[in-house]
Amino acid sequence: MIAGNHAFIRGAEPDDAPFLHRFYQARRPRAALLDQHREPLLPTAAELEELLARKDGLQGSFYTIEDLTGVVRGFCSLRGANQEAGFADLVFLLDDDAAFGSPLAAEALAFILARGYGRMGLRKILGHCLEGEESLRDALTAHGFESDGVQRQVLFTAGRWYDMETLTRFARPGEGVQAPRRPE
Amino acid sequence: MGFSTDTFLRRAERDDLDTVVAWMEHPDFQHFLYGDPARSPRQIRDQIVGMLGRAAGHTMPGGIYLLIDSKESGPIGMLSLQSISWRNRSCSLDLYLGDEKHRSGMVAAISVYRALEYCFDELNLHRVSAFIYAFNTPSWRIFEKTGARRELTLRDHVVRDGKLHDVYGYGLLRSEFEALRERYTRAAEGVRLQAMIAGLAGAESSP
Repeated sequence: MIAGNHAFIRGAEPDDAPFLHRFYQARRPRAALLDQHREPLLPTAAELEELLARKDGLQGSFYTIEDLTGVVRGFCSLRGANQEAGFADLVFLLDDDAAFGSPLAAEALAFILARGYGRMGLRKILGHCLEGEESLRDALTAHGFESDGVQRQVLFTAGRWYDMETLTRFARPGEGVQAPRRPE
Repeated sequence: MGFSTDTFLRRAERDDLDTVVAWMEHPDFQHFLYGDPARSPRQIRDQIVGMLGRAAGHTMPGGIYLLIDSKESGPIGMLSLQSISWRNRSCSLDLYLGDEKHRSGMVAAISVYRALEYCFDELNLHRVSAFIYAFNTPSWRIFEKTGARRELTLRDHVVRDGKLHDVYGYGLLRSEFEALRERYTRAAEGVRLQAMIAGLAGAESSP
């Protein structure tokens, strides 16, 4: 577990499945929850629980973000790592748009970036934002992500087309230091 | 160099295997298209040969692989439509022309046009994407001529020969393709394409 001043970040567990399921159930699409074809997924809570329990699944690479009172506020991860070119896609989910501007979000983002540049040895991390994810976009740009461009009408859901922006943040000199660990 | 406007797409036959394998053994195939150091050339070859043999049209496949053929020149290249999303009506297009002399100019342009026609008129797609390495200038120039927009520039995104290169992400919407087709149809009213080609050929050969 990583304990910050505003957030606890720990490896996701099967018990977190209902919280993760809520993100999939929301009507508003999130870029981080689309599959490789940019299609929304509709997993059941049981399927997510099974996925989080699998040793070869998300365990150890998918993190739950809690506030200091122990309430689950979101999740973060890096997926689709390309070891050769040294990049991966960011998954960063918070239960409330307003939370993306909070110190909790800043700590979680700093943690996952350090994880990517440090332990995974990535050169760059990509973030994706659909229309309607402006709060996430603001958080990413505040942490040094820069836009690579916008793909037009890549997703059809909720009766309309959505554009998707891709943003990239390259590792900076000296990055890669792990966040401080608290003894468990 | 001869070329034909009757270029067409078809499924690969067993007899095409030698041609396709010969294309894949050329270093350009890996350099421009499917270079993946994590997989051996044999693995890549087996996968593509397997995909070429798959039926298209009866189901809703995630990928469709077709040969670009020409009555004059025989098989010219290979078209692959990948990451097909039937929900979003989109796909990612890769095109490989086996013969280097066909890679720029009219044959390449016609091949791309046929591929786009197939995507929009047969598969009823809404959007076609193409991710093209920045150093593959002939490819992205041809794609831009179709009206596709360069939507993404993914910096230092692919490794070739030990160096990092940018990748351009292009997108073409159905409405843009239809506008292109209408524009060229209007411009060509009363003009026979074969006559234009004959005229161009004559102009090139004159001193």
